[in-house]
Amino acid sequence: MFKKIITLIIIQFSFSSTLIAKELNVFACEPEWKSLVEEIGGEKVKAISATHAKQDPHHIRARPSLIAKIRRADLIFCSGAGLEVGWLPLLLQKAKNTVQPGKLGYFMASEYTPVIDIPETIDRSHGDVHPEGNPHIHLDPNNILLVAKELNRRLALINPSNKSYYQEQYNNFMNRWKKSISIWSKEIASIKGKKIIIHHKSFDYLLNWIELDAIASLEVKPGIPPTASHLKDILQKINNNPADIIVISQYDPVDGALWLAEKTLIPVATLPYTIGGNEESKNLFALFDSSINLLQDELYGK
Amino acid sequence: MNMFKILLSLLITFIVYSKCAVADDIEDRVKELEAKIAQMENKGGAKEESSSEHTKIYGNAFNPSIGIILNGKYNNFSMKSAEPAVKGFVIGHEGERGREGLQLGESELNFSSNIDDKFYGSMTAAIVKEDGEDKVELEEAYLMTMPNFNLPDGMSLKAGKAFWTLGYLNEHHVHADDFANRPLPYRVYLNKGWNDEGAEISYTLPTDYYAEIGGGVFRGDDYPVKGGDGESPGAMSAYARIGGDIDQDQNWRLGVYYVDGDNSGGRAGNDGDNTFKGDSTLYVTDFKYSLAPTGNVREQELTLQGEFFARNEDGTYDDVVFNGTSYGWYVQSVYKFNSRWRGGLRYSQMETAGVPTGLIGTNMDGEGYDPTSVAVMTDWTNSEFSRVRWQFNRDELASGSEDNQITVQYIISIGAHGAHKF
Repeated sequence: MFKKIITLIIIQFSFSSTLIAKELNVFACEPEWKSLVEEIGGEKVKAISATHAKQDPHHIRARPSLIAKIRRADLIFCSGAGLEVGWLPLLLQKAKNTVQPGKLGYFMASEYTPVIDIPETIDRSHGDVHPEGNPHIHLDPNNILLVAKELNRRLALINPSNKSYYQEQYNNFMNRWKKSISIWSKEIASIKGKKIIIHHKSFDYLLNWIELDAIASLEVKPGIPPTASHLKDILQKINNNPADIIVISQYDPVDGALWLAEKTLIPVATLPYTIGGNEESKNLFALFDSSINLLQDELYGK
Repeated sequence: MNMFKILLSLLITFIVYSKCAVADDIEDRVKELEAKIAQMENKGGAKEESSSEHTKIYGNAFNPSIGIILNGKYNNFSMKSAEPAVKGFVIGHEGERGREGLQLGESELNFSSNIDDKFYGSMTAAIVKEDGEDKVELEEAYLMTMPNFNLPDGMSLKAGKAFWTLGYLNEHHVHADDFANRPLPYRVYLNKGWNDEGAEISYTLPTDYYAEIGGGVFRGDDYPVKGGDGESPGAMSAYARIGGDIDQDQNWRLGVYYVDGDNSGGRAGNDGDNTFKGDSTLYVTDFKYSLAPTGNVREQELTLQGEFFARNEDGTYDDVVFNGTSYGWYVQSVYKFNSRWRGGLRYSQMETAGVPTGLIGTNMDGEGYDPTSVAVMTDWTNSEFSRVRWQFNRDELASGSEDNQITVQYIISIGAHGAHKF
C-alpha cells in the first residue's frame, strides 16, 4: 500500500516536471502583471494572477490554491514595495529556490520604476503606510515601459531558448505602447488640473501622470476605512474648495463616496484600476483607454 | 582554580576586544554613511539607471522584525465557585476557563528573521500571570529551512519548539483566533495548543491543486502526549492535506492528522490526578471553507470551519487498565459584515470513553454525559493592528452545571506583524 502511494507520487512528480518544461509558469500577484507578461511572453508563458480586480491586493489570504500555484512558478512577478507583504512572504516559503528574493525568478516591478509617496516619517498612527512608498505603479504608462524592459531581460535569462521570440514580442509591444502614450497624452490635456477626491492612494500614479489635484481622501488614513465624522470633515472642506470628481476603485466600498456625492452632486467615477476592473479593461491598453474615457465622461458629460 | 583564572582572563580579553571591534565598526559605518550622503548630494537624487543591483533595503529589513501582541480582557462567570472539570476528562491548566475580572491575557513578544539564505528563525515568548506571578512561557523557538537550503523543491524542515501542524487552530497563535477562548477539544486534548520540542518535515506536492504531506518526531512532553524523558522520541506525527478554489471567491481546505506517543513518564491532569501511562493516539480531521460574496475578503467574508478529534488510549489510569476512545469536535462560522464588524457562532462538544470499574467515580468517569460549550462573538476591527471583541459562552461541562461567561477583549498588534496562515 505504502509503496503504491510513493510510486503514485513519483509518477505525478515526473509528469508535472515534464509539463513545466514546455512553458514558463508565471505567478503574477496582480492582473496588470499577468497581462503584461502575456503581452511579452505570448504563448510561451502560462500566467496566473493571485488577485482579481475586485480584490484589494493588500489583503488577500495565502489560500491553498495559491500555495499550489507558487509552488510551480518559474517567475514571480509582483508590484513589490510592500503591496504584497501580508501574504507573499508566506507563499514564498513554499516556492522554488529559483524564485526567492534576489534570484532571477523574483521580479518586483517597483524596483525598476520611480516610486512616489515615500513617507518622511513612519508611524502606524498614520495608518497602514508603506515605508517603501506607493506600490500602485502600473497606473503611470511610462512605468510600464520600464517594467516591460526588465521583464523581457528576465524572460530571456530564465528561458534562453525562447529569447528571440520574447524579443520580437517585446519590440512589438513597445511600439504599440509608445504610440498609445502619445495618443493618451493628447486626450488627457483637457482634464489636467481638475480637483479630485480619492478613496485610497491607489490612483496616485495615474493622477500624477494626468496632473490631477487630489484634495482629499475618503479613507481616514491609508487602510483605515471612512467614518461618518471624517466624511463630514471632507464635506466642510469641499464647501470652501469644491472638487470636480470623486474617484474610487472596484474594490473600495462605495458607501462613503455615494454619501458625499449625494450631498454635493459631485460625480463619482469608478475607475477600473486594473485588468478586469470593468468590462472594457481586458488588457493594459484598454485599461488606460477606459480610465481616461470615464474621467472625461464624468467631468464633461457624455 | 588556575584553570578558572585562565578562563576568566580569556573571557575579559574577549569582551574588551569585541567592544573595540564594535567601536571600530561604528566608526567605519559612520564614515561609510557620510560617503554615501556625499554621493547622493552629488547626484542630486537622480535615479540610477540600469544598475545591476536594484534591490532596495528599507528600514530595518536587515534586523529581526519585532512584533508585540497586547491582549487584555474582562471575564464575568455566572458560576462563581470553582469551574467543574470537563466531565469524563483529565485536563491541563491551560484548558481551564481562566480568571474572572479585569486582567491581561497573554502578552506576546515575537522576533523573527531570515538568518541567512538558508534558514529562517522565529521566537515567540508569552508573558502571562499564573498563580499571582508573571511567568514567561516560551511559545515558539524554531528554525526553518528556506527554499535555498536545496532540499527538493517544496520540502522544508522545521526544528525546535513550535505550534506544529495539527488541525486548523493549532498552527495559529491565539491572538489570531476568531474567538476569545479555544473550543473544547483544544482545551481537553491539547491543553490549548500543541507546541512540543521536536522537528517536522513538510512537502508540498507539485500538483495543480494544493496538496501537502508531512510528519515529525517530538520529545513527547506536551499535550496530547506527556512524560517523554528524551531518551527516544516520545511522540511522532503525520499529516496530509489538500485544498483549492471552487471559483474565484470560494476556497476550501481539508486535512487529516495523527499524533502518537507513549506517555512513558505519565500524563497527569492539572491537579496531579488520574495519571495516564501508556500509548495515546490522537486523530484529527479539519476543514475550512471561505466565501467572499463581493470577491473581496476585506469587505465581506463568510467562513465555516470545523475540527473532529478522536483519541485512543491504551494503558493505565492510576494503575487501572484502560483502553478506550473518546471524541471531541467543534464547528464554527464567522461572518464579516463589513470591513470593521464580524459576528460568529461556535459549538463544541466532547464524548467520553466508557471507563472500567476501577475508575468509576473519578474524573475519568463521564457517566454518559457529553460536555458542551456554545460561544457567540462579535468583534470590531479598526485596522489590521487593533481589534475589540465581545463574547458570550455557555459551558455545560458536567451534568447540571451551567456556566454563562461574558468576555470583553482587546487585541493589539505593535510593530512588524508577519502574515497569518490561511
